[in-house]
Amino acid sequence: MNTPDDDNNHSLRYAEFVLGVLDADMRAAVAHEIETTSEAATAVALWQRRLIPLSDSIAPVAPAPYVWARIQHALQLAAPARTPVATRRGLWNNLPLWHWLGLGASAVAVALLVTVMLPRLHPPAPAGGLDYMAATIQQDNGVTGWTATMDLHHARMVVVPATPQALAQGRAPELWLIPAGQKPISVGMIARDKPTTIALDPAMLARLGPTAALAVSVEPIGGSPTGQPTGPVIAKGAIGAAPDASSHATKVALISHPQAGRQSV
Amino acid sequence: MSVTSPAEREELNRLLIATGRSDEKAFAELYKRTSSKLFGVCLRMLRDRGEAEEVLQETYTTVWRRAGSFDAAKASAITWLVTLSRNKAIDRLRQHREELLDDPERMHETVDEQPTPAADAESSQEYRRLERCMDELEPQQRSSVREAFFSGATYNELATRSKVPLGTMKSWIRRSLMQLRTCLDQ
Repeated sequence: MNTPDDDNNHSLRYAEFVLGVLDADMRAAVAHEIETTSEAATAVALWQRRLIPLSDSIAPVAPAPYVWARIQHALQLAAPARTPVATRRGLWNNLPLWHWLGLGASAVAVALLVTVMLPRLHPPAPAGGLDYMAATIQQDNGVTGWTATMDLHHARMVVVPATPQALAQGRAPELWLIPAGQKPISVGMIARDKPTTIALDPAMLARLGPTAALAVSVEPIGGSPTGQPTGPVIAKGAIGAAPDASSHATKVALISHPQAGRQSV
Repeated sequence: MSVTSPAEREELNRLLIATGRSDEKAFAELYKRTSSKLFGVCLRMLRDRGEAEEVLQETYTTVWRRAGSFDAAKASAITWLVTLSRNKAIDRLRQHREELLDDPERMHETVDEQPTPAADAESSQEYRRLERCMDELEPQQRSSVREAFFSGATYNELATRSKVPLGTMKSWIRRSLMQLRTCLDQ
């Protein structure tokens, strides 16, 4: 039998939903109610109006410019463009993935490669048969600046510095993807002295391919203010398939420490 | 960037409605005017820049696709946007719940009671009204409501953090919600 208290608590679930205190199951149940009954939708809207003004007390924080770039590119993909990476695998067979991974601090690089291969919550993007791609991002003098490994199934890129870069105060390296004949697309800020893991959205994945290149430019800490490189390009390199990386990586994974992670605030 | 003046709110409503008609310029302007606020909300809940960036991206791609269902008679654009980003952040928190519970730093994060940026002349009428009603709550209950709202934590997590039984936390929050409703609906 329902007591008045029970009824009251029951109707408070809309408030609890808006406040955000319900566990995943209860949340899903209320979300379903909102979708299916106008009564629930109205009650929730009323509670939003009451409680959401609390968010006025949260200080605004400007997101990095590449977030907007990612949104734009994700939305251009509304009509899905299949990734162009499936062909020309053989052309890149000479790319010595494991050799260049050895250029960096190899233990760290391997740990990151393992991180990049860990299962991800999001479903993988289609990749047309290729699992991994790689790029050696070289400075003009031929010295490797960074190496990038792209795990197409888990939609991640790991960028490992081979040579720590000295940059002016207040400047940081920003990584760009340059599809053939197109403008650079910001991939994200990367560390100059340690590996960086970057999640790749479907639009970005679709643009990876043997005709694309990666480049690093020097930008303000928060990223290029214009969405295009504003500082000097200090390194660049073509993207290619990383042959047989998966079988090697599986072996390597056994001796590594998958503790390197994403950048925190 | 203030989104609190009535004129600005009107403008945001207009931009969101235009976005619903697939107006890319309006969408870009909407992002420019609201992304810092929404990113602040996401960052506060997720406490990880990378995660907050992903949720912000999901939020705006959803905005683009769903702006057509926005109804200015039911909610203001900014409420609609903040709600969307909060829902996505909370979904993300629930997905990662176990990892977060394992992270002692996150468990002991407390919500500061510092005077907030909006607590000045610029703050919206709605916010000032809500704050007046919040002030009528018992201090402990008020701080639980705040922490719930800002952190997106479940009843269970809140009870653990405050070291009180689950039932106590539930009744604190429910009583507060009822009190707020009475106060706000006057």
